[in-house]
Amino acid sequence: MSLIVFENVSKWYVDGKTRIQAVDNFNLSIEKGEFVCIVGASGCGKSTLLNMVAGFIKPSSGRILLNGEPITGIDPRCGMIFQNYALFPWKTVLGNVEFGLKMKGVPKKERQKVAREYISMVGLSGFENSYPSELSGGMKQRVTIARALANDPEILLMDEPFAALDAMTRQVMQEELLRIVDESNKTTLFITHSIDEALLLADRVIIMSARPGRVKQDLTIDLPRPRHVSDQLSERYLELKNTIWSSVEEEVLHNMLITYGENNRQPKRKLA
Amino acid sequence: MSVDIESARLTTDVPAAEAEMPTENADLLSKLRRYRNLLISIFSVVTFISVWELVGRLGLVSPVFLPSPSLIYREGVMLFQNGVIQTDILASTRRVLVGFGISAAVAVPLGLLMGTSETLKAIFDPILSIIRPLPALSWIPLSMLWLGIGESQKYAIVFMGAFAPTLVYVIDATRRVDPLVIKAAKNLGASRLAVLREVILPGAMPNIISGLKVVLAVAWTCIISAEMVGASNGLGYRIWSAKDWGNTPQVLLGMVGISLTVLVIDTIFKKVEEKLIPWERNRR
Ligand SMILES: Nc1ncnc2c1ncn2[C@@H]1O[C@H](COP(=O)(O)OP(=O)(O)O)[C@@H](O)[C@H]1O
Ligand SMILES: [Mg+2]
Repeated sequence: MSLIVFENVSKWYVDGKTRIQAVDNFNLSIEKGEFVCIVGASGCGKSTLLNMVAGFIKPSSGRILLNGEPITGIDPRCGMIFQNYALFPWKTVLGNVEFGLKMKGVPKKERQKVAREYISMVGLSGFENSYPSELSGGMKQRVTIARALANDPEILLMDEPFAALDAMTRQVMQEELLRIVDESNKTTLFITHSIDEALLLADRVIIMSARPGRVKQDLTIDLPRPRHVSDQLSERYLELKNTIWSSVEEEVLHNMLITYGENNRQPKRKLA
Repeated sequence: MSVDIESARLTTDVPAAEAEMPTENADLLSKLRRYRNLLISIFSVVTFISVWELVGRLGLVSPVFLPSPSLIYREGVMLFQNGVIQTDILASTRRVLVGFGISAAVAVPLGLLMGTSETLKAIFDPILSIIRPLPALSWIPLSMLWLGIGESQKYAIVFMGAFAPTLVYVIDATRRVDPLVIKAAKNLGASRLAVLREVILPGAMPNIISGLKVVLAVAWTCIISAEMVGASNGLGYRIWSAKDWGNTPQVLLGMVGISLTVLVIDTIFKKVEEKLIPWERNRR
């Protein structure tokens, strides 16, 4: 049985009198242990999809199954990693990472032991008692990952988690994530608008159509593992990158036309 | 390539605190600057008091109108020796702290609930909007009718002065808690109660505390006024009765007493603040 199944999922937002369809009839199955990347033009409904898996919002129609059962509310089995970290500023690194276990009622000693293991896994040993405001962006994202992992979710949901980091740190974090996901053997649903990031990380890349989002293409990435940034020069890599790019490009252009159409009262400003 | 990445981690992930560690030299410089500023401050105070004293000594202003610092000091020594001033300071401080404490103990939990529950907000909002515009002093007559001029009336005045503003500050602080962080907590399995205790309370704490600081000043205004109207001790009573006796040095002494007491309490409050919100330690 697939771990996650999207069954004809659609979502529309009602904003005053206008109705925006964000996701349209989305179908996808994710197997246990897979690393799936979703790429797509901005505004095509990627975050909406992820928020529905986490249970923050409900599909307007269709359903999402986790282990065969529909997701009905916010579900700790789907661990979310936010782009803006969403760490608790008043808790230390240790306090943040042990939070999920504390909510489960795990005794203090035990949960701190587990938390320390994950802190060490993300390379932050020695920073247990630091507050988030004392950490750099890359370190904060490590804490978020450790916090999600310590709660032992069935799937990690990551919404452009490294987009706020500088290019150097981003590369380090991508390689770290590969190692961590490998070590913890977690299923991961990862959203990005970077094709390189998707090719470095994913077993499968899902290309979404312009809004309303649908699965446009489902590509298996057969690049050998372990992967490194240096693999970006291999022939197969460039081939895959080309395939994805031409597919995405169509949608980006389409997307610009949608945006143009919706804002045709001030077309110049929108196109600039 | 992987070597590059290792070094990239070292350079990009240095914690902010370490990067800003001051060198010994910079330390010395900042110490010197602090001494210099302290000296300037002392000089300014000494000058101010000397000019004031001189004005009195030269007979430029009558001591009944504005007594010189030495007269106030003499009055202070006298009141200190017979223990009057200590009693007054303690009486006023206790009234402020009790009234303020009770108000905070009720308003903080109520504000947290009102900030997070639409229903509770709907229930209490009308009451709050009627009480809120009333100055605390307008409660003095009613409170004297109900409670006389004893201690409970003083506590009540401070409570009435502090309660509504505290509630407003707490509700506001609660609503400013980052919704993303609340989402994260729920995603990690937090129940409604856990969200309130583990996220909303600490998240609102910095704003609650800065609100409480403002309210503490309001509480002092309340108690001084209440003591002027009806009391047998306290700094407000001291000032008012000194005026009736034409004892201007004592009026000024009482005012200095208020000033110093509030300063001391503010300092203590700051220490408490550091204990309550340690995570803000490098933002101050
Ligand atoms: N809460 C909302 N209310 C109204 N429209 C929304 C809301 N959230 C997202 N949208 C719209 O739905 C579309 C998809 O948004 P989103 O899922 O955030 O896209 P992506 O993450 O791919 O950039 C966008 O056009 C966006 O403006
Ligand atoms: Mg998004």
